[in-house]
Amino acid sequence: MLPGQELDAGVEDPEELRHPPASSPARAVPEQAEIAIIGGGVVGLSIAYHLAKAGLTDVVVLERGYLAEGASGRNGGGIRQQWSTELNIRLMQESVELCRRFATELGVNVWFRQGGYLFLARNAREVARLTRNLELQNRCGVPTRMLEPRAAAELVPELNLDGIVAASYNPTDGILFPWPFLWGYARQAQARGAAVFTHTAVTGLERAARGFLVHTTRGTVASRRVVNATGAWSGELARMLGLELPTWPIRHEICSSEPLKPFLRPMVSELTSGLYFSQSMRGEIVGGVSLPGHGATRAMGSTLEFLATYARRLVRLMPALGDIKVLRQWAGPYDCSPDGNPILGAPRDAPDFFLACGFVGHGFMMAPIIGKLYAQWLGGAPPHEVFSRFTLDRFRDGEAAPTEKEDFNIG
Amino acid sequence: MTRRLPLAAPLRGLPTEVSVAGATVRGFTGESVAAAALASGARVLSRSLKYHRPRGLFCLEGHCGGCLVRVDGVPNLRACQVTCAPGLKVEAQNAFPSAEVDLLGAVDFVFARGMDHHGLMTGSAVLNQLASRVVRQLSGLGKLPGAVATATPPVAEHRVDVAVIGGGPAGLAAAEATARAGASTVLLDDQLRLGGSLRAEPSAGPAAAARAEEAAAAAGALLLPRTGAIAYFPEDAGGVLLAASDERAARVHARHWIWATGGYAQNLAVPNNDRPGVVALRAVGRLLADHGILAGERICAIVDPAVRRHAQATVDALRAAGAEVSVLDVSEVDTVRGRSGVTGVDLVDGRQLDCDLVAMAALPAPATEGPRQQGCAVVLDPAAGGFRLVTDDAGRTSAPTVWGCGDVCGYRGPREAAADGARVGAQVARALAAEAT
Amino acid sequence: MARKIVLCRCEDVTLGDLEHCVARGYRDIEEVKRYTGFGTGPCQGKECLAAVALQLARQTGAAPSKIAPFTSRPPLSPTPLRLLAADPAAHRFPDDPDDTDDTDGDALDAAAAAPEER
Repeated sequence: MLPGQELDAGVEDPEELRHPPASSPARAVPEQAEIAIIGGGVVGLSIAYHLAKAGLTDVVVLERGYLAEGASGRNGGGIRQQWSTELNIRLMQESVELCRRFATELGVNVWFRQGGYLFLARNAREVARLTRNLELQNRCGVPTRMLEPRAAAELVPELNLDGIVAASYNPTDGILFPWPFLWGYARQAQARGAAVFTHTAVTGLERAARGFLVHTTRGTVASRRVVNATGAWSGELARMLGLELPTWPIRHEICSSEPLKPFLRPMVSELTSGLYFSQSMRGEIVGGVSLPGHGATRAMGSTLEFLATYARRLVRLMPALGDIKVLRQWAGPYDCSPDGNPILGAPRDAPDFFLACGFVGHGFMMAPIIGKLYAQWLGGAPPHEVFSRFTLDRFRDGEAAPTEKEDFNIG
Repeated sequence: MTRRLPLAAPLRGLPTEVSVAGATVRGFTGESVAAAALASGARVLSRSLKYHRPRGLFCLEGHCGGCLVRVDGVPNLRACQVTCAPGLKVEAQNAFPSAEVDLLGAVDFVFARGMDHHGLMTGSAVLNQLASRVVRQLSGLGKLPGAVATATPPVAEHRVDVAVIGGGPAGLAAAEATARAGASTVLLDDQLRLGGSLRAEPSAGPAAAARAEEAAAAAGALLLPRTGAIAYFPEDAGGVLLAASDERAARVHARHWIWATGGYAQNLAVPNNDRPGVVALRAVGRLLADHGILAGERICAIVDPAVRRHAQATVDALRAAGAEVSVLDVSEVDTVRGRSGVTGVDLVDGRQLDCDLVAMAALPAPATEGPRQQGCAVVLDPAAGGFRLVTDDAGRTSAPTVWGCGDVCGYRGPREAAADGARVGAQVARALAAEAT
Repeated sequence: MARKIVLCRCEDVTLGDLEHCVARGYRDIEEVKRYTGFGTGPCQGKECLAAVALQLARQTGAAPSKIAPFTSRPPLSPTPLRLLAADPAAHRFPDDPDDTDDTDGDALDAAAAAPEER
């Protein structure tokens, strides 16, 4: 009943033409490259794909582990336009468009489903915050609307409305399945001539006469330009060049339930606790919660504190889920920045060292558009305003270059 | 097909009736829904997630996903871990209109050799949106619970010298040894009954399990059956093991940990190895020894040579109970035959055997997830059936105060596992004594 | 008759799927888990991890001892949320009914607060 490609376990696989291998075989990295992208997460791969698509193929992506090992493979797949600053709203509008086209453009399903995002407020302060953001979102053309609790329950009948005073809902937000995003970008970047090296760790980075020398566990690449797309490791990489980034890593935990038949349309989030959850394309309830009071860490273990907090908040909000079973719990690293906005562009004292970090747990949803804008710029077009607004220098210049604080990093 | 043996198993319990997919099934309060359903001839309990292939019980130990059903409105429960109770309502999942006759079973034929869903229908935007919609509707297993869950009692707390995880021959022997030496000992076991693999040993097994249980209890160990280890959290409360029964969670703090989790029954890689009626030989042994149920009249036992010796006792017992059993080396087998139930086994030499049950005898895979969460080293060892726990001669793992014994260190069988448990339990007692001085 | 050798029954992953995945270049067991979905269903690998790892060794020619298992994630078996919700480790937010000791404020900013503020 489902027409589709049948896969052949043998060598004759017509799909292989569309899908070259996910990563380069075990061989040395090239001696030279125009651009070395360090970090094979979604941000780095999106840049590589968009560069390759624009014809700039002298690009090598260096990933320390396997594809999806870092935060890109550990997030909940939420893609939303409900942000608190105009720039982020507009960026995410474009990201959503790219997500909609992803499967057909890259030949791999990411199961993007626009079920909306429903934010729940429990007090007047939270309502005021949602209202303020909504006005801005509406001005940008995002159809967010405020809902009475009863209208929220029409969207999600299982909600316990006790204590809920209002909600904001944007039907065009959505969720996707993160892993295939990476595979799609990696394959299609390679199909166009870029090289993606997995299991290739960068061990050193130094300035050279013409650009940089990137030392890896598979040899050294002399690269004219370098992109730092290492997520929670961004500070460590920058330090190899003597640059200090104001970023810091934190652990964000998340968990997944047993698969259930589809019943939950939107991603639901409650501001008080940072609880968020959605139903994935596989039917699992995937979500997380904020755990205040934890400092910088790159520890990736799972905690009972998270599991208990998440369970407590989720069962309170959705009592029907009490008998639903948790299948799996894990953690991923956020790369935090002081104002909640990413750090992009090149610092003035390292003009060929391009930053793509500090996404505060939202790099996945930003990656499609940031990769596209980066590729345009690195390919010779004038830089988009994100590259002058979200610079590293904004943190060095203090009051001289204020940036609106993004205060809607949930979870 | 399946029949109950005239000898009533001691733990059979009181007769009762449960509803399985609308039909009334007669069972006993001491046996699982899966066992009762099988005894009544119901083989297909659900449909698989992707291809909607018919599925039935396999391991009977609550570890595989073969027998997931909806029980009294709660989805995705393992029928082998739910005991029969009067009026229990059991429904099939992921099937329309029923698990036996599921129209979506067509998916299995359309994608006869497999499906890479990652590339499915990415050719055009319209097709892709259609695929997304269809896949979403097909996704998931059970439906949301019909009723809101009952409240939960507070979490229990156990502070002990020794926590033993696993109540099979090794764990019971280890707990007996540490408790007898005066160490406060708690033993957790996730099964319906204590005894682990002993309960799958024909004739003497269940009695030996009962003896081991009595000995551990008499020595003073606190035995918690139907209470599985949920996870070890190294960062919470100075390191805590969370456990849970159906009704209550428990926190366990221990000075020493003994993992005696044994191994998971495994399948063998032959075509159609997932058909209802393909059951782990250990489960067939458990049904016979512990439940007094003969799972088939004509049985093909497909055997990995590594476990032939251990399989033979079960095969002999099945024959003694009146079954006709063909013992086949896995390399002889071309395919299992049948769809909603096995009908036979085709051999590579062209012979076709008819049967009503296929029993798979593979090396059990060591159950090392728990010790791995405590940082213990494991190694993939084909001769051990999977990732075995690495221990020294005394049973010490690579993590301090964490020990392992029995099949979790590589398959050795119930008798040797018990001896290993006793030995490692004594070592732990000695370590505790040394700490005290 | 659909002739499938099933390695992971929870997610319907066949031997053919594994071969296809390896041919695609996904050879790390964590990658294979993500590409095929094996080990992500209700059994969380109890039935399939060893089988897939041994097959992977065979297909890639890697020494078995070089293959590590995928990370063991909590919980070890599926656990109802209501049992977990009762654990005292749960963080109390200002609106929690039996809130006793906590005034950690708005979770919204937790991720964005600078480390020295936290």
